[in-house]
Amino acid sequence: MSPPRILVVDDEPQIRRFLHPALEAAGYEVIEAGTGADALRLAATRAPELMILDLGLPDMDGKEVIARLRAWSPLPVIVLSARDREAEKIAALDLGADDYVEKPFGIGELTARIRTALRHRPQADDEFAGIEVDGLKIDAVRRRVSRDGRPLRLTPKEYDLLLVLARHAGRVVTHKALLTGVWGPAHAHDLQYLRVFIGQLRAKVERSPTDPAIILTEPGVGYRFQMPSQP
Amino acid sequence: MAKTGETHEARPDPDALLALTDRTARGRLTIFLGAAPGVGKTYAMLTRARRVKADGADIVVGLVETHGRADTAALLDGLEALPRKVLDYQGRALEEFDIDAALVRRPRIVVVDELAHTNAPGSRHPKRHQDIEELLDAGIDVWTALNVQHIESLSDVVAQITGTPVRERVPDKVLGHADEILLVDLSPAELLERLREGKVYVPDNAKRAAESFFRLGNLTALRELALRRTAARVDTQVVDYMRQNAIELPWQSAERLLVCIGPDQLSEKVVRQAARMASGLNAPWLCISIERADQPLTPEAVRRLDQTFKLAAQLGAETRRVTGRDFVEEILAQARREHATQIVIGAGRQGGLSRFRISLTDALISRVPGLGVHVVTDVAAPAARPRLAPPRGWLAKPLRTIGVAVGVVAVASAIGYALDSVIALPNVALLYLVAVLLAAIYGGYASALVAAVLSALAYNFLFIHPVHSLFIAQPHEVVGFVTFVAVAMLAGGMASRLSEHARVASERAAATQALYNFSRKLSAAVKVDDVVWAAVTQLQGVSRRNVVFLLPGDGDIALAAAWPPDTELGVSDMTAARWAWEKREAAGFGTGTLPASAFQFRPLAGPAGVVGVVGLQQDGASPEGGEDEVVLGAILDQTAIAIDRARLSRDMLEQSAKLEGDRFRAALLSSVSHDLKTPLATITGAVTSLRELGDRMKPQTRDDLLQSIEEESERLNRFVANLLDMTRIDAGTVEAKNDWVDAADVVRSTIKRAERYFPGRKVETSIARDLPLIRADSVLLGQALFNLIDNALKYGGGEPVSVYARRDGDAVTLSVTDLGKGIPPKDLERVFEKFFRRGKADGRKPGTGLGLAIAKGFVEAMGGTIRAESPAVRRRGTRFTMRFPVEPVPAP
Repeated sequence: MSPPRILVVDDEPQIRRFLHPALEAAGYEVIEAGTGADALRLAATRAPELMILDLGLPDMDGKEVIARLRAWSPLPVIVLSARDREAEKIAALDLGADDYVEKPFGIGELTARIRTALRHRPQADDEFAGIEVDGLKIDAVRRRVSRDGRPLRLTPKEYDLLLVLARHAGRVVTHKALLTGVWGPAHAHDLQYLRVFIGQLRAKVERSPTDPAIILTEPGVGYRFQMPSQP
Repeated sequence: MAKTGETHEARPDPDALLALTDRTARGRLTIFLGAAPGVGKTYAMLTRARRVKADGADIVVGLVETHGRADTAALLDGLEALPRKVLDYQGRALEEFDIDAALVRRPRIVVVDELAHTNAPGSRHPKRHQDIEELLDAGIDVWTALNVQHIESLSDVVAQITGTPVRERVPDKVLGHADEILLVDLSPAELLERLREGKVYVPDNAKRAAESFFRLGNLTALRELALRRTAARVDTQVVDYMRQNAIELPWQSAERLLVCIGPDQLSEKVVRQAARMASGLNAPWLCISIERADQPLTPEAVRRLDQTFKLAAQLGAETRRVTGRDFVEEILAQARREHATQIVIGAGRQGGLSRFRISLTDALISRVPGLGVHVVTDVAAPAARPRLAPPRGWLAKPLRTIGVAVGVVAVASAIGYALDSVIALPNVALLYLVAVLLAAIYGGYASALVAAVLSALAYNFLFIHPVHSLFIAQPHEVVGFVTFVAVAMLAGGMASRLSEHARVASERAAATQALYNFSRKLSAAVKVDDVVWAAVTQLQGVSRRNVVFLLPGDGDIALAAAWPPDTELGVSDMTAARWAWEKREAAGFGTGTLPASAFQFRPLAGPAGVVGVVGLQQDGASPEGGEDEVVLGAILDQTAIAIDRARLSRDMLEQSAKLEGDRFRAALLSSVSHDLKTPLATITGAVTSLRELGDRMKPQTRDDLLQSIEEESERLNRFVANLLDMTRIDAGTVEAKNDWVDAADVVRSTIKRAERYFPGRKVETSIARDLPLIRADSVLLGQALFNLIDNALKYGGGEPVSVYARRDGDAVTLSVTDLGKGIPPKDLERVFEKFFRRGKADGRKPGTGLGLAIAKGFVEAMGGTIRAESPAVRRRGTRFTMRFPVEPVPAP
């Protein structure tokens, strides 16, 4: 099987200079683009399996690249951004980016995200059968959750919340996505609901609720369900 | 008057050529024109003198006043100076320019400062410009300096602007004859700064006058005059050139002005106004007076008329005296003969011809529709109508009153008598009734009364039996006569009242129009200052009194504007003003509060409370009428609203400026964060890649990653160093340790350093031999030069970069030139701003946007200047030039 092809989109030549050899060494085939237009063209013609996208591009905003790409392609996108403004990342995620890595980053972090993104595409409700991580078992078919074999009592909202996170295991899910997914679009900005329910959920599913290992916080952006067997 | 050129052949205008040859035989006159004292005319003149002297020209200084300024005096050093002539005047020794010494010495160029100077009594010519004229006639070139306020045709405008009369004036034709006018310009803010630093010479006895003269508003207006004057001059030069070289139309001015003057005072103003119009339109103008043969002028009037004609001739008019009976007819005849397109007349109130001019205007306009008619009024502020003239007394014009009455009655009698002899008229009295009504309309009530009495007498005398006596025989005739007198008086009264009403109505209309104009002026005024000025001039015009305007600030109110501008408020005035401000009621003269004040202060109540206080000086002579009160009240209300609005819009502007600032800071932060994080991301990424995946990489890949780490660390280091430098510049803690530096040395070592950073790039160097040492800090200078070279290499499009070190007059210049795309003019100044970046640099190393800002900061800290020009070479490239003044090196 040929190695997965990754499209790296960044206008900074020095970033591409280390990403290219590093990703190749990690076992991927790498193609590069320096502009948004090039990125879209290569995404259409070279059939990459994943896109690594810098948000600051000379010709168009990275968010626009995502929006245009999503019109015709489910290609996984990992966003790179030197900007530490949360709004930017959240907007990119809400537009359909799959994950993000903040500059500066270690290559291990990036390759882990790439693996997650390539392994699991988000699954629709009916396809998602369940997941088991760190002693927590979620049986989506029978709507049961257990911790080390002992069943846990979750309220319907807690269960829904856990399910949305688990279905996207390994990826960040934004506050907005969680709120609309569980409470509906009218509550997209009621962050206090989320804080309360995440707190309750952690108290039930985590071994040590003060040091969560399953439901991780992505500050300012959302939450991430720990990937099973993550190194 | 200049020829307009009837022929359209492409042949040089002989007059123009003649003027040219005439000019070549004469010396050339160069005028350094400035807006106000202190802009640096003398300095500019001497700097240029040194330059041409260095080029070997034979130039001497005839007379220059340094006013004790060391830097100006230093410029005199090394220039040949003529001895001054010492004149004894009333026991005082006065030093003057020695024209004979200049004529004997016969230099090619002589520098004589202060063109407007009036020579001491006993000199050959009363005015210095006449001295200069003589030098020019002798074939000597003259350089001189002039402030715009001294130009004859502008002197009354200047007096209006500054509130100070201009005594020393230079005729416009002197400027017209100048071969070259150099505008020495300095922004008013800088000039005020220089004044504060004591760099502008002000005689001790003029300190106070200077304070009211050197105001931002005054200086801005004067500067505008100077700029416009120079621009007009350039225009004229173009036209001259076209005429000399027979360039076809359109060069000739389509406009011709006909200016009508009389022996009244207004005429002087008419002439000045016309001169400005003529120069603005670039039009020839003819100035005429019309005298009536049957009404000889008084000696006083003749003298005044002569003076006005002299002024007109000085300002460039052709003059002509015309004798005639019908003013309108004569003016039109002249206008036709001269093909005039515009007529300028005065409309005054007092004396002489001007009394007729309102109707004259109407007559002119109605007779020749195609003609432009300009009416010059003698009111200081043009919009100052309606004026509060004393009410028209009945007997204001007794002659006219009686004349009209006698006239109409005589005409009625003649008609009646003539008709009576042909057909028997039963009702001759009706004719007299018509006469009385006419008298009422044209002469007023008094005239109607006189006409009624005269009619009664004439009627009785001519038509009532027995005729030719005042005796009335028939009783019914007595009744008829009495009835006639009663009817005549009643009708006359009504008619005169009607015409009075019409007059009042038209005055009201004028008042309304004035208010409307005022409100339009206010709505155009954006700033509080503009509103205040508009209001002050309007109030002054309406009330004919001194006006002060106070605005709040720092918890108190303070004088914001006044007319006349040098009006000052005493302690009691200020107390009254504060009272009006705090209590929101009128105070001062004529009120119950502090009536001792010379001013009456009124609060200006706007929608959001009291916005200011207006004071009108009361001279006691003119008590306020009801009409004036209404107009004043309306003006004050409008002003209050306008100030309120101006304040709101100012607040809004400040808000949006603050928002803009916030946005700028955000962009700055994001830019800095990006510049710091990109190298960090590269380093982190490369290091982690090497650690985690290095064993799977080829050796040269590993090498490349290591090299990128090194490069990015270096870049990060430079960026941080730049940030620190910039912080030091911003904090003002850059201390240039200036010492004697060999610029050539610095250039060579900096280029070596640059070539290390940019291997393979070529920097061409040209260093003039025998460069003098300069005062600089070699480290800062090296860094500034490095930044310029760095910038040139990044944006130079891969073309070679050249560095020049040259001597330029009294300075050493170091310039760095690239052959890249260049910088558009709008960005030329901005390139020195922090974080200003024009697109991407080529290659792999984008700039930080700090290099040029740092170079500028360093150069200025060392006392030098830096500027950018683009295009530099053949429509390409950019050149940055640093200039350092050369100072005398102390002997070792």
